[in-house]
Amino acid sequence: MKFGIFFELSTPRPLTRRNEWQVYHNGLEQCRLADELGFDHVWAVEHHFLEEYSHCSSPEVFLSAVAAQTRRIRIGHGAVVCVPEMNHPVRVAERAAALDIISNGRLEVGTARSSTWTELGGFQVNPDDTKKTWDEFCRVLPKMWTQEEFEWQGKGFSMPSRNVLPKPYQNPHPPMWVTVTTPGTELDAADRGLGCLGVSAAGYEEQERRTKEYHRRIQLCDPVGGVINDQVHTMNFLYCDEDYRKARDIGVPMVNAFNVANTHLYWTREAYPTRAYQTLGNAGAGMKAKKTAVDDPSLAKGLPEGVGVGDPEHLINTIKKWEEIGVTGINFLLNAMEMVPQEQVLASMKLFAKEVMPRFRSKEDLAAPVYTPTSLPAFVGAEK
Amino acid sequence: MIVGSANIETLAEDAATIESFGTSEIVFEDVVCFQMTMEMRNQAREAVLPKGLHPTVPATLSMQAWEISRSPFGEFKMVVCRIGCRSGVRARGYSTRVYTNSQIAATALKQQFGFSAQLAEIDFRHSFDGTDVKVIFESRVIFEAACLDPEPMNNSDVQYTGTLNLAHTPNGLRLVQLEAHHVASQVERLSSRLLNFDSEAWGNSLLDPYTVVSASLAYETVTFPPVRFVCKPDELAFSGTEAV
Repeated sequence: MKFGIFFELSTPRPLTRRNEWQVYHNGLEQCRLADELGFDHVWAVEHHFLEEYSHCSSPEVFLSAVAAQTRRIRIGHGAVVCVPEMNHPVRVAERAAALDIISNGRLEVGTARSSTWTELGGFQVNPDDTKKTWDEFCRVLPKMWTQEEFEWQGKGFSMPSRNVLPKPYQNPHPPMWVTVTTPGTELDAADRGLGCLGVSAAGYEEQERRTKEYHRRIQLCDPVGGVINDQVHTMNFLYCDEDYRKARDIGVPMVNAFNVANTHLYWTREAYPTRAYQTLGNAGAGMKAKKTAVDDPSLAKGLPEGVGVGDPEHLINTIKKWEEIGVTGINFLLNAMEMVPQEQVLASMKLFAKEVMPRFRSKEDLAAPVYTPTSLPAFVGAEK
Repeated sequence: MIVGSANIETLAEDAATIESFGTSEIVFEDVVCFQMTMEMRNQAREAVLPKGLHPTVPATLSMQAWEISRSPFGEFKMVVCRIGCRSGVRARGYSTRVYTNSQIAATALKQQFGFSAQLAEIDFRHSFDGTDVKVIFESRVIFEAACLDPEPMNNSDVQYTGTLNLAHTPNGLRLVQLEAHHVASQVERLSSRLLNFDSEAWGNSLLDPYTVVSASLAYETVTFPPVRFVCKPDELAFSGTEAV
C-alpha cells in the first residue's frame, strides 16, 4: 500500500493575496514533512477558476518547488487537463520532462479532461471533444518523450516534425495515470495501460467493483506508452488523532467543507447537453453518510464509510479494508479551506506515519520506505 | 463558502401559498420542454438568492418553457426562470417567477407547487428547423429566444435539476422542493440566441443573463411526486431541511 498526499490548494474566503500565499506555503511545508515521514507521493491537481475549491491552476510551478525542497517523495503532476485550449500537448510534454529532470526522475503524470463548465466554458472548450482530445494526448505524450522526430496529424492538434525537448529523466518516460471521477473511466485507464487515479470518494462496494474490473481489463491492455502502470489509487481525507472523538470533531467539518465547496462548481452535464458527460461529477453529493447510533468515529454522522478520519486503530482497519478490495495506494487530502490549523495537520501526519504507515510496510519497504526510479518495473536506466 | 444574501421578506413579497401538501403524484403528458442555460456576471450572484442556498460558480440562470398537452389542469404553457444554486450539496434551480397562459394552471401552479405564477401570452414554436419562445406580459416582450440547428441527442443527455419555490406552506415560509422526473422520447440540442430578457419581470432587477451556454428541446412525460422536503430559506439545507 502506497500513501500519498493530495492538493487542491483550496482557499477560504476572503480571497486575499495573503490567504492564497498562506495556503501555498502551508502546502509546501506539508510536502517537506511528508518527504521526511516516508509518504510515497505528493499530487497536485490542475483546476482553473474554481473559487475556494481549488486555486491550483499551475501545478507544475507548485510541484517544481516541491521537487526542489524534497529528496525522495514522488511528484504527482495530476492531473494535467488534456484539452488543447488549456494545454498544448507539446507544452505538457516539455513541462513534464523538465519536472522529471528537476526531480531526479520522481515524476508521475496524471491525465484528465475536466468535468466542470466553470473550467471548460472559461476556455471555450466544446465538451463533446474532451474525451477524444484526452485520448489523443495519452497516445502522443509517450511518443514526444521517446522519439527524436515527432509529427502528428490528429483531431485535437497537428504539427510538423520536431524534436520535443527535453526528454524525461526516467526511461522510457514517467508512469502515466488517468483521474477517475465518472464510473467507466477506470476501464479507459485499464485499456490503455494507465494507472487509475481516483479523485472522487467512492464507498467500498463501488470501489471494489471498479477495482476488480480494472485489474481484469489491464491484463488485456494495449498500452499507449512504454510503461504499464497497473496501480489503483483512491482519494481520501486524513485526520488522525489519538482521541477518536477529537479526530471526528476536527475531521468531519473538513470533509464537509470540501464537499460543499465541490458542489458549488458548475458541472458540464448541468450546463450543456452532451453524450460526453453522463454524470454530474459532483463528489460531495456522491458521498453518502452511514446511519447508525453507535458512537464510533467511522460511523459518525456526516462521515461516509472508508474515510481516513479517526484514531490510529480506526485508520488501520479502514486502510486494511481498502487493501483487501485491491486498492494499491491512497492519496490523502490533508486539509480543506484551511479548516484545520497547520500545526494540527502536521501533527496528524506525524501520528499517521508513526502508528499507521508501518502496519502496511514490508521489511523491504521499511528499509527503503519510498520507491525510487530504479525500482520501477520498466526502468532501464536513463542515459547520462 | 458563499451563500445567498437577498432579503427574504423582499423575495417573499409575491410568494404563493400552499394550504396543504398533496399526497399523490401529478403527471404532465405530451410535454415539450425547452431549456436554455445562461451565465450571469458574478456581481449579483449572492444578492439574488436566499441565505439557505449557495450560488453556482459562475452564477447561472436557466429558462424553461413547457408546452403541456395533457395534465390535471388541462392544456397549458408555462415559462419558468430559475437561478442555478445548491441546496446543501444538491444541484437545484431557485425559481423567481413563472408565467402561464392559463388561469386554471396559474392557480394550480401556485396552490400545489408554490410557483409564483402570473398570466402572460406565451408563443412557443418548435419545428424541424428550430425553436422560438416569446413571453409577452402587459404588452411587453419579457423573454424571447431564437434557436436553430436542432441536433439529435440521446434521451438521457439533458440534465434537469430540482426546482425550489419560495412559498408560504403549512410549515411556514419555506423553499418547496419539486423533484420532477423527466422521461424523454426525443431530445435535441440547439444553437440559441437570447433576444429579450426583462429582469424585473422575472422577479429581480439584478438578474443578468449575458451569455448563452446551451439550449435543448425534449419531448417527454414529466411526473411530479408529492413534495417530500421543504427547507428554511434562511438556514443551510444541512440543518434547515424538513420532511413533509
